[in-house]
Amino acid sequence: MPHFFFNKKLILLLIGMVFLVALISFSLRERTNATLPEQIIKDTVGVAQSIVAKPANYITGVINNIDSLLNTYEENKRLKARLDEYAAVQAEASDLKSDIKKFQELMDKSESLKAYDPIHATVIARNPDQWEEKIILDKGSSHGVEKNMAVMTAKGLVGKVTLVTPFTSEVELLYTNNPNYRVSAMVQGDNQAYGLIEGYDKERNELIMKRIDSRQTVKKGQQVVSSGLGGIFPKNVPIGEITEVSTDDNGLTKMAYIKPSADFSILDYVVIAKRSATTIDGSDGNTSNEDLTHPQKGKEEAE
Amino acid sequence: MVRFLIPAVAVLLFLVEPEFAMLSPIEVKGQIFYLVPRFLILYLIFISIYYSRQRAVMYGLFFGVLYDVFYIDIIGLYSVLFPLVCFLAGSIVKVIHQHLVVTTTISVVLVAILEFILYQFFYLIDFTTIPLSDFLRSRLLPTIIANALFLMILGWAFKYLINARVLQRAREVS
Repeated sequence: MPHFFFNKKLILLLIGMVFLVALISFSLRERTNATLPEQIIKDTVGVAQSIVAKPANYITGVINNIDSLLNTYEENKRLKARLDEYAAVQAEASDLKSDIKKFQELMDKSESLKAYDPIHATVIARNPDQWEEKIILDKGSSHGVEKNMAVMTAKGLVGKVTLVTPFTSEVELLYTNNPNYRVSAMVQGDNQAYGLIEGYDKERNELIMKRIDSRQTVKKGQQVVSSGLGGIFPKNVPIGEITEVSTDDNGLTKMAYIKPSADFSILDYVVIAKRSATTIDGSDGNTSNEDLTHPQKGKEEAE
Repeated sequence: MVRFLIPAVAVLLFLVEPEFAMLSPIEVKGQIFYLVPRFLILYLIFISIYYSRQRAVMYGLFFGVLYDVFYIDIIGLYSVLFPLVCFLAGSIVKVIHQHLVVTTTISVVLVAILEFILYQFFYLIDFTTIPLSDFLRSRLLPTIIANALFLMILGWAFKYLINARVLQRAREVS
């Protein structure tokens, strides 16, 4: 009898293992939507989480305030120096704005890649095990959030929405290992150089911008913004500043290291940008981790 | 009252964990350290040690599923590892002495093992590419230190709460 019992346990264990592997491979598959039970769990936990997040955000806010209070003197000095430039810049800006308006009227162009409707959201959680760079927001599809929308703070681009449930949404941050996570970017300057933000350097903690035309001159200190050409993000969202320029692996194009302008360590309030111009829902490799940049390598590994 | 306090604390720890995760990673002298809060599993290990192994495994399964669905979208990872860790803790404690220092050490070691298994898993499925030495230096060590600190501060409180529940149950039975 005990022998039989042991066997039963063993069989149960085996069935459990098979079930587990099936479940993991099912959830690892590229999925565009969460299943219904998942959505229910996500929404329920999300509501509870947002209640807890409120006092937590308040406390971090207070700490930030104290921190900035300590830097007031330094900051004030710096700002005063900038203030003189400000008047001139503002005059120029209003001049340019009226120019743009005139040109737009001339060209009969109403839609701009820059325009977007902001949806304000609170960060309710960050993936605690930190293997994937992910945050969870308290706004979902019932608030008009859709997959692949750009997420940013006042300082710059943070990431994009990867999964939406009715009351929560998941954001994959720019700091990701996913090789298919690309953002079409542009270097601001006299002649605009275009490139793609692809991945980031772990040691330097900076983003990498690749595929910049080697004829373009790109210098350290120039600002990088989103170009809006990827079809998903609005134009002119700041991404960061170039810290170093070098040649790409194959020597045909340039690449640049970019220090992101958004502060990723403390994210509490973000803006989800709903682009006004037509968006395409395309994303490389369906936001999977499959390496499309080096398909050969992937194939070899599979074989 | 105490009866509901035990699951309530577990829920609270589950919800508080990601808030602490927002403080990480920290940068010290140009080096980046990841601190992974593992408060919930530490608490469940304590339940397993001082209260009931079976109960801890049940809690582990429940919160493991929540963890999988809400945070990492890979179902079947934490929902297996959490109960497994609780089961191990409950089994180990049958052969050793239940002093707070000993149990704290066991809990931290179990969390380190959990973290290591997770690293191996994520390395296997290409979610991370960092080499083992980097993992040990920038993740495992800081995580162990942070969680050991947490347990040193709150371990006695967990033990106190769980003992209160055990006493209450003993009274109910008699």
